[in-house]
Amino acid sequence: MGGLLLDILTTAAILFAVASGLMIILGVMKLINFAHGAFLTIGGYAAFVTTQLGWNPWLAVPFAALVGFVLGLIVERTIVRPLYTRPLDAILATWGLGIIIGQVITIVFGREVQFVQSPISGAIEFLGQSYSTYRLVLVALAALLAVALTALLYFTRFGLNARAVIMNEDLARGLGIDSTRVRLTTFGLGAALASMAGALVTPLISVDPNLGLPWLVNSFMLVLVSGISIPGLMVASLILGGAQVVVSTYVSAILGGLTIVVLAAVILRLRPQGLFSG
Amino acid sequence: MTKTRTANLAGALAVATVLGLGGGAMAAETIKIGIPVGLSGANSVVAPSVVQAAELAAAEINKAGGVLGRQIELVVADDGSGAQGAQKAFDSLVFQKKVDVLISMETSAARNAGLPIVNRGRVPFIYTSFYEGRSCSPWLYVNAWVPEQQVAPIVDHFMSAEGAKTFFLVGSDYAFGRGMLEFTADYIAQKGGKVLGDEYLPMDGTDWTAIISKLKSSGADALITSTAGGAPNVTLTKQLRAAGVDIPYGNLAVDEGTARNMGADAAGIYISASYITDIPSQENQAFLRNMKAHFGDDLKTPNDLSVPQYEGVYLYKLAVEKAGTTDSQAVIDALDDVAFMGPRGKIQMNKQRHAPLTMYLAQVQADGGIRLISSFKDVDPGEQCPNL
Repeated sequence: MGGLLLDILTTAAILFAVASGLMIILGVMKLINFAHGAFLTIGGYAAFVTTQLGWNPWLAVPFAALVGFVLGLIVERTIVRPLYTRPLDAILATWGLGIIIGQVITIVFGREVQFVQSPISGAIEFLGQSYSTYRLVLVALAALLAVALTALLYFTRFGLNARAVIMNEDLARGLGIDSTRVRLTTFGLGAALASMAGALVTPLISVDPNLGLPWLVNSFMLVLVSGISIPGLMVASLILGGAQVVVSTYVSAILGGLTIVVLAAVILRLRPQGLFSG
Repeated sequence: MTKTRTANLAGALAVATVLGLGGGAMAAETIKIGIPVGLSGANSVVAPSVVQAAELAAAEINKAGGVLGRQIELVVADDGSGAQGAQKAFDSLVFQKKVDVLISMETSAARNAGLPIVNRGRVPFIYTSFYEGRSCSPWLYVNAWVPEQQVAPIVDHFMSAEGAKTFFLVGSDYAFGRGMLEFTADYIAQKGGKVLGDEYLPMDGTDWTAIISKLKSSGADALITSTAGGAPNVTLTKQLRAAGVDIPYGNLAVDEGTARNMGADAAGIYISASYITDIPSQENQAFLRNMKAHFGDDLKTPNDLSVPQYEGVYLYKLAVEKAGTTDSQAVIDALDDVAFMGPRGKIQMNKQRHAPLTMYLAQVQADGGIRLISSFKDVDPGEQCPNL
């Protein structure tokens, strides 16, 4: 039983970390970033480069965040900003961008699976059983991430501006908030979060050009269900991730893989605005 | 094998010309060897090594005067690693390029899609990929392993050397993954062992959390996995290691190259293959040297999927020479009589269109190397195509 609870908790932590970047961008920019999966992949390859350079594996996480942030700024400036007034086209553009990033990674690094050094390996005794050390560390890191994001949104000038833009962009602009700048920073932040999450999950998954793809749909579902809210995303991760683990354990792992999508569809049928949006 | 985004480039035919090395032998018409292979899609990681192996064989044969005085020409077509691409690739090779033979490593889906076209076009087809077994056609020969040959070395070793009595099986949910593990379960039962559980994840699945928890709580003595190649294999292994699973672990689907790329996580994994680069034979050493000399820095590490391709080209050459013609029926009749001493040893496809093979049980080392544990000489493929 303890094992099941740990499975649920760690799965939820991973989902939260992976989906947070998508949520930030959706919240501020009203833009579903379909290149989210590609930014996860970039994070995985940032971790690969870290290994290649012989750096400490923990450095992969800040390094990936930095790479993601810089690339996010460039993408926002060159691709997303010219499409502000055409939201649908902007979504399509991020989709295309995702494909381009995937192909560029393939050209530069090749299609094969890359080796990335893990910061921690093995298991420790926890709640009376041996459990993956790294997954437990991920729970702590996800909690830290949630606190940091909350602090950023509620205790900084950027957060105040971002929240103003989320609530009413026209009014915010009228009050002198530079919404263009807020959007730029937000996209950079979202890309940095995605890239960081990509680096964080590399000890558990294969680093190849398709790394981010399986996470994209699940992140998307989580964000739709949660609405724009950090505690909301945490709860959605626990509900959907928990359901996936329970179905995988007691029914079949094949159905478990579908659980998040199916359950999200049901929840959205009952509450189209998501669980936590007004 | 897997997976998403199969860019279907079939129809785009790449003609790899390996002519002219013999000098002035252009007079006679070339013998065309069609190679439908997964340059895009799931097999794209391994396909370049397969093409290289065929190129070396063709270059060597052409340099030595060709086959019946005719030079060999390779016609490579992308099958997209799947059924749809394979139909286009086979159709184009057989009916437009009018190849004399098809020699190729492909996914089972691509092979099954191509076979009706082969039957219609009446060309010999040498399949060089290990597979789940029992694919039979009057025009088909196979020179790679089937479950009967691969599974036994691992299970036998676990039961005798590691004292394992109970097993847990994990795989990807598709024909090859399930087929291999069903065979494994039967074999374990036959040998008096017990399978405590078998669990599958879809081919593009990456989250093995629940399955690993079940494995741990089952208390099994040993684990045998058969996932799709590439990503699923790596995610499963990483998550197993992260969860501290250290029981004997046999992997039916990992190749030497992937094992190397997994680094320390792959250490201790048992693999069973008909080819590993460590084979000490003279033929293998010469083959590795020639590959290195021919491709230099571009060399893709030869493996259990590419070496049979090399041998397949030679087997075809021997059959044509024995038949004295490239006539399809005559070549098919000659193919089970000819034997080739290749990197994997003596290969002769004389057991119901399949070949007895020497199998190697090896273990991945912490430094990524492969240590040969034992070899099993001329393992019989068993009943494959009793009616042929």
